[in-house]
Amino acid sequence: MDPLLYVFDLIVFIGIFGIVSLSLNLEFGFAGLANFGKVAFFLIGAYTYALLSQIGLPFYLCLIAGGLISAIFGLLVSLPALRLRADYLAIAVLAFGEILRLIVKSEDWLAGGDWGITVSSAISLAGASHRVDALVNIALVYFCLFICFTVAQLLANSPYGRAMRAIREDEIAAETLGKSRAKFKAQALMLGSAMAGVAGGLYAQYLHCVLPGMFMPMITFTVWIMVLLGGPANNWGALLGAALVEIFDRGTNIVKDYFVLPIDPSNLQYILFGALIIFVLLYRPHGLLKESSIKTKALRLAYNGRRSIKNKRS
Amino acid sequence: MVNWAQVIFNSGVTGSLYLIGAVGLTLTYGLSKFPNFAHAEFMTLGAYIGYFVAEQLGLGLPLALLVAFLIAGLVGVLCYRGIFQPLAKRGASIIHLMVASIALGFILRHSIGAAWTWKPLYFTATWSAFDAGPLRITGLWLWLIFAALVLSLAMHFLLMNTKIGKAIRASSSNPELALASGINVDRVIWITWFIGAGLAAVAGIFRGADTQIWPMTGWDIILPIFAVAILGGIGNFYGAIAAAFIIGLAENIGVVGLIALGLSTTYRTGIAFLILIITLIVRPQGLAMLFRRA
Amino acid sequence: MEDALLRIREVSKHFGGVYAVNGVSLDITHGGVCGLVGPNGSGKTTLFNTILGLHRPDQGEIYFHGECINNLAPHQIYELGLVNAFQLPRLFYDLSVLDNMLVAARGHQGDRLFNSLFLRRRWQEQEKGLIEEALDILELVELDKWVSSPAGELSGGQRKLLEVARGLMAKPTLLLLDEPAAGINPVLGKKIFQKLADFSHNGITFFVVEHRLEILFEFASWVYVMDKGRIAIAGQPQNIIGDPTFYTIYLGEE
Repeated sequence: MDPLLYVFDLIVFIGIFGIVSLSLNLEFGFAGLANFGKVAFFLIGAYTYALLSQIGLPFYLCLIAGGLISAIFGLLVSLPALRLRADYLAIAVLAFGEILRLIVKSEDWLAGGDWGITVSSAISLAGASHRVDALVNIALVYFCLFICFTVAQLLANSPYGRAMRAIREDEIAAETLGKSRAKFKAQALMLGSAMAGVAGGLYAQYLHCVLPGMFMPMITFTVWIMVLLGGPANNWGALLGAALVEIFDRGTNIVKDYFVLPIDPSNLQYILFGALIIFVLLYRPHGLLKESSIKTKALRLAYNGRRSIKNKRS
Repeated sequence: MVNWAQVIFNSGVTGSLYLIGAVGLTLTYGLSKFPNFAHAEFMTLGAYIGYFVAEQLGLGLPLALLVAFLIAGLVGVLCYRGIFQPLAKRGASIIHLMVASIALGFILRHSIGAAWTWKPLYFTATWSAFDAGPLRITGLWLWLIFAALVLSLAMHFLLMNTKIGKAIRASSSNPELALASGINVDRVIWITWFIGAGLAAVAGIFRGADTQIWPMTGWDIILPIFAVAILGGIGNFYGAIAAAFIIGLAENIGVVGLIALGLSTTYRTGIAFLILIITLIVRPQGLAMLFRRA
Repeated sequence: MEDALLRIREVSKHFGGVYAVNGVSLDITHGGVCGLVGPNGSGKTTLFNTILGLHRPDQGEIYFHGECINNLAPHQIYELGLVNAFQLPRLFYDLSVLDNMLVAARGHQGDRLFNSLFLRRRWQEQEKGLIEEALDILELVELDKWVSSPAGELSGGQRKLLEVARGLMAKPTLLLLDEPAAGINPVLGKKIFQKLADFSHNGITFFVVEHRLEILFEFASWVYVMDKGRIAIAGQPQNIIGDPTFYTIYLGEE
């Protein structure tokens, strides 16, 4: 296989899962919501893209629609979920994802059931080589990633993000200080689901297909590894985590091709993943990067000018 | 024409399996205050150990059940001691504990995959099917129902009449009080993990013998088992009995309904998920109020 | 007393058959410091939590500014101007001291999702003013050296102070304080009450639970004494001190 193409492919995957990782970071890192059904919203985005592109809608509308429909489902799920404890929410959303997968698996008329359907590329240039195709995909994916990252950063460094973190820390206290936890949680799940939906659409058009087997609960937990490893409540951490996990994933695949190990590398990979998470949780619960502090213009002025303020007074 | 007697009987079979699988989950959930997703892998592990003892060593089902119970129980205690207890001591949140249990599930599942490969295995012992009136019954199902009955009686005796059982109930409802009244809560918890993981292994063997054994054997039924634990009220054994049979009934009647509606029977597993979600939304405390004693 | 700021009528709250608050009626008028005292377990904190909307009363009505707030969510009650400082501080421990203050700020435009993304200029300006206010309050409670440290690094007494400061930051009309001087050194405790008295001139009314009666009685204009979930006696501090029932309630508990 063309090594350059292999690298391009890796870069696309990091971009797509970077978006999903950012979205989970928004929900879990900032708002403290245990979304164990991330893959459900990824699936919604992917299937929406696939179905709409089949009836000939242009790719950007398919992507936006995927994000919107996923956001609507995020909102719907959030309505009952808001009253649920962290563990109940986790189990309920996990079950929701499994039900969705069952539906697309069983309803052959919808999207080909178990066999799925093929999806055309978002942008196909006539006569372009595989490398050019990959580059086009990189441009598209990283454009979306850039938007999501900007949104996530703006939120993180705003009073809104501050309120979200406050709800994560102590939702009762935040509630008595005027922060409606229902509103914030619903919005976090909506935004997070929208991002995951867009990522799903990108994934579907990149792989040229959607099928139920692509949306196993495994995806959800891979994304959890990314966020926990990189550092919850740090958007750079979410991206770092996505990159590390994807590179690790490729690494073990390469090892599989070139070395003979006593243990099947794909099993070994997951064993190492599991051990890594437990290690991180035990010894580095804040991940590789620390939680980013809130940076607003006014705060920066206050911190830098604190001495002058005090001097003025004394 | 629907054979309702068969539907009811099948519900009992399904319910028995879910009950055996859910007891450990609900008790450890109640005591350690987090849902252990690796419970699925305790079942899978049990199925493979059972296969090893019964098929590869040829020692028969009863011994397989016993060995699997003991080994899985030991693994359960080790996991609790090695992972969950240290995490809890470091002040891990419930979300961290849940993620850790999923990570542990990966480790166990793929270690099993490495040891036995991912190719499905089947118990070769053929369970003779016979007709009793309108019912079609296999020997395995009778074993399963028998096991659930024994389990129920044993657990009832344990919870009501032994010191450790009373300690489990006390620690589950109020750990601080239990600690203050001189109960060794730590011992109670690891004994519960031992019993819970051991019973999961028993459920895994039955599930494996009834269908197939592969590294996802436990994960395939973990959500229905969660449904049982939550519908029954977390930490509530008697609630779990009722919930197991309610979900067994719902699944089997649901299949009849699905066929009648012309829908795919793969939705069968979705029925339990749906009950799970509805319970969580409408009545997250489950049936616990009906069974306040445990 | 038509103009009562907070009016509580026959409010009861029970937990599993045990009445924590049993038919309490009281009025808080505008201005000043009103005290609530009583032995441990007499239902003071439960009463506060019920007022805040953290518990729904089983019976009775609670009016704030003449509006019934029985069925309002805590964040709606905050919007009306009723704020609380918890007995055991409930800070946002991973956030900085200043951020803790800013969470409480009233009417921050940047709290809205849309504004946080698209109207950043608007709230950036507002936030400068809010930070000034926050720094002023932090200076009062002597936390100004800790502005950028995470709240989790504060000592027990400092946490308590931040809890009170956060309540002040919310610009309430009525601030419920649950033992503000507990766990703080007596000198600072008294100083806090002095500051509170200053604030009360600016239109904040305080309803304070406090075990340090000597400090409370110096500043309170009216005191309710609670016992076994009921209001046992009420009156001006000097009358309460002279009331023999007061001593039976406190000493009887021994």
